[in-house]
Amino acid sequence: MSSVASPTLPVTSASAVPQPKIEICGLTKRYDLPDGTSVTAIQNFDLAIKESEFVTLLGRSGCGKTTLLNMIAGLIKPTSGTLIVNGRPVTRPGDGKGMVFQQHALFPWLTAQGNVEFGCKSRGVPSAERRAIALQLLELVGLKGFEGKYPAALSGGMQQRVAIARALALDPDVLLMDEPFGSLDEMTRLDMQEELLRVWNARRKTVVFVTHSIWEAIILSDRIVVLATHPGRLRQEIVINVPRPRRRTDPRLIALHEEIWQQL
Amino acid sequence: MKRAGAPHLFYGTAGIALVLLSWEMAARSGLVAPEALPAPTVAIAVAFRTIPTQDLLHDVTISLARVTAGFVIGGSLGVAIGIGAGWYRWFGAILRPLLELLRPIPPLAWIPMAIIWFGLGEPSKIFVIVLGAFFPVVTNAYKGMLGIDPTILRAAQTMGVHGFKLLLQVALPAAMPDIAIGLRIGWGLSFGILVAAELIAANSGLGYLIMHARELGQTSVIIFGILAIGSVNLTTDYFIGWLIRRSVGRWHAT
Amino acid sequence: MRGINRHRLVNVLIGGSFVALLLLAWEGAGEAGWISSYRFPVPTKLVDACWELATVGFPDGVTIWTHFITTFERILQGYGLALITAIPLGIIIGRIEVLDWMLLPVITFARSIATLSLLPLIITWFGAGELAKVLLIAYGCFWVMLTQTIAAVKYVDPIYIRAAETLEASSVGVFLRVVLPAALPRIFAGARTALGVGFMVIVGAEMIGTIKGLGALVMEARRFYRTDMTVAGMMMIGLLGFGISAGLLWLERWVLPWNRGLEQVRRS
Repeated sequence: MSSVASPTLPVTSASAVPQPKIEICGLTKRYDLPDGTSVTAIQNFDLAIKESEFVTLLGRSGCGKTTLLNMIAGLIKPTSGTLIVNGRPVTRPGDGKGMVFQQHALFPWLTAQGNVEFGCKSRGVPSAERRAIALQLLELVGLKGFEGKYPAALSGGMQQRVAIARALALDPDVLLMDEPFGSLDEMTRLDMQEELLRVWNARRKTVVFVTHSIWEAIILSDRIVVLATHPGRLRQEIVINVPRPRRRTDPRLIALHEEIWQQL
Repeated sequence: MKRAGAPHLFYGTAGIALVLLSWEMAARSGLVAPEALPAPTVAIAVAFRTIPTQDLLHDVTISLARVTAGFVIGGSLGVAIGIGAGWYRWFGAILRPLLELLRPIPPLAWIPMAIIWFGLGEPSKIFVIVLGAFFPVVTNAYKGMLGIDPTILRAAQTMGVHGFKLLLQVALPAAMPDIAIGLRIGWGLSFGILVAAELIAANSGLGYLIMHARELGQTSVIIFGILAIGSVNLTTDYFIGWLIRRSVGRWHAT
Repeated sequence: MRGINRHRLVNVLIGGSFVALLLLAWEGAGEAGWISSYRFPVPTKLVDACWELATVGFPDGVTIWTHFITTFERILQGYGLALITAIPLGIIIGRIEVLDWMLLPVITFARSIATLSLLPLIITWFGAGELAKVLLIAYGCFWVMLTQTIAAVKYVDPIYIRAAETLEASSVGVFLRVVLPAALPRIFAGARTALGVGFMVIVGAEMIGTIKGLGALVMEARRFYRTDMTVAGMMMIGLLGFGISAGLLWLERWVLPWNRGLEQVRRS
């Protein structure tokens, strides 16, 4: 029941990929309250995401985008519908689904390096290899020299970089990001958007990004999925074909912003 | 944080019932010598038989009177000084090292000097309880005052609220949660100190009751006394908690 | 940063000079005879008393070191006992919700029992020796430690657990690698509070029928009308208490270096 994609920009032929990286079919999440009523967070959601695609879930608070992301991650079980990631149904967290949270959720008792190594340690990767991976990733996110620092000693932007490195350490199939820059100030946020794109260029992961910032969605994504609220469901899909890096001054993007803003 | 849920109530009651039951069983079956640890039912019955109810009431009243007096005095002093030290920084600067020096000394350690200053009567015990209530209250009140978000003070000032009015109408309510916590802790401490003081140097009150009972070998009375003190402490603490929830708890997530 | 330190220094100086002023006034009033030097032993007399404690000792032969060590030993034993029982138990109860529900009223009640009120009972059971005191301290420390440990384990921020799950930690792994480290700061806070409680308990316990130990010292001194010794003893008690909590704080900084940035004020 997905609405028809209504692009406002010239569309090049969609690259035909044999199998979508993420397949969501009829996904529904309903919470039953103790007083008998129920709340539907997500209703009948369909979405197919291609390999290496950067998709943003955009919507106001309460539209269920975080719930949706958590279901993809395997942290929440859907009420009905199917969820397939990389050809396998989603049953539990991990297993190729890396996640970055809004509150960085870095373990305060571990250094930056310790945090990044955490996932590898879970998998039993030997320590020398773990260390190499961690150092390499920390360098990738621009934190060379900060490996031994504890999260409390890092700024908000740096913390999120560590979080991204940590999620990438397990070489995930998909990278799920839940408003990762939401708690950062505007400048840092803009910097981090650039950083993310840079890292994404180096490691072309499939990314599902959640945000309520229209501009953020426009700057970052290949495709924006706009969600409606109460209940959360798909409202609109927009493919953006403007090549990156994108400028906020680009009239096409400004027009797009207007359109989405009207929708919401 | 306290959810009134059916499972909590059920398991909670079950827990207490289990403990009481095993105690009763252990005592009755002879596992534990009945002189050493009488069953709860026995203990209470014997206690009531042994001590004339009048004396019991007298002891309870005296203990409560002491701790209330001490708490009221110590608590008010603590609140006043804590607020003053937090609001007038110079006052706080002067007093702080003095208080920090005196704080590590446990109130009980003051008993000998209290006796020298006030003799063996009521004032000496109340003095020690005052100390016991004072320190946690003053510490928390001070901390509460320091922890007030300066933004709301500034906001009030832009609305023309200054000086003493500012303290009364804005600062005090803002510091209330911490002050309340301090008072609650102070009450609990006062209780413990009351009992100790009565054990060490008194001839009336619940603490004395227990001490005296030991000399007479009346284990039942001892146990009864211990349970009585615990119950009073628990009830009063619960009451204070309820008061706090009803007042501060309405707007502050405790 | 320099400005703040200077501000602090000024504050300490102000308060410090106030204390110094008080001491001088006290000394002066005592010399002038305005206040009874029996009821308010002057600072110089106190210094003498401390010296006497360190050398000759009070009662004769029992120096301040013996008192310190006796009291400290008792605390250590009781406290240690409480720690090794309360922490594992607290972790277990914190993990198993049903246990927590069942034991909450019991624990709350046991905590409300004034620890010192148990002394007569414990003496009846175990005699009036060292064991009674150690057990008493252990009792007092145990409940505080237990409640804090339970809370520490129960209230671990769920975001850490979720993050660990996305990083493929096993259930055991989540517990050992995330829940326990996350609970440590609060467990330490509980340990600090428990030590304070234990300290209060032992001072009280020593004031009932012992000769050695700091609590006994102050009681004995009064019996012999040595108020200077009494106050000196009180100061020593304060010193020990301060030393112990400072020591614990230092230990915590050493074990939890990462906690320094996160000044989390926990309410007990």
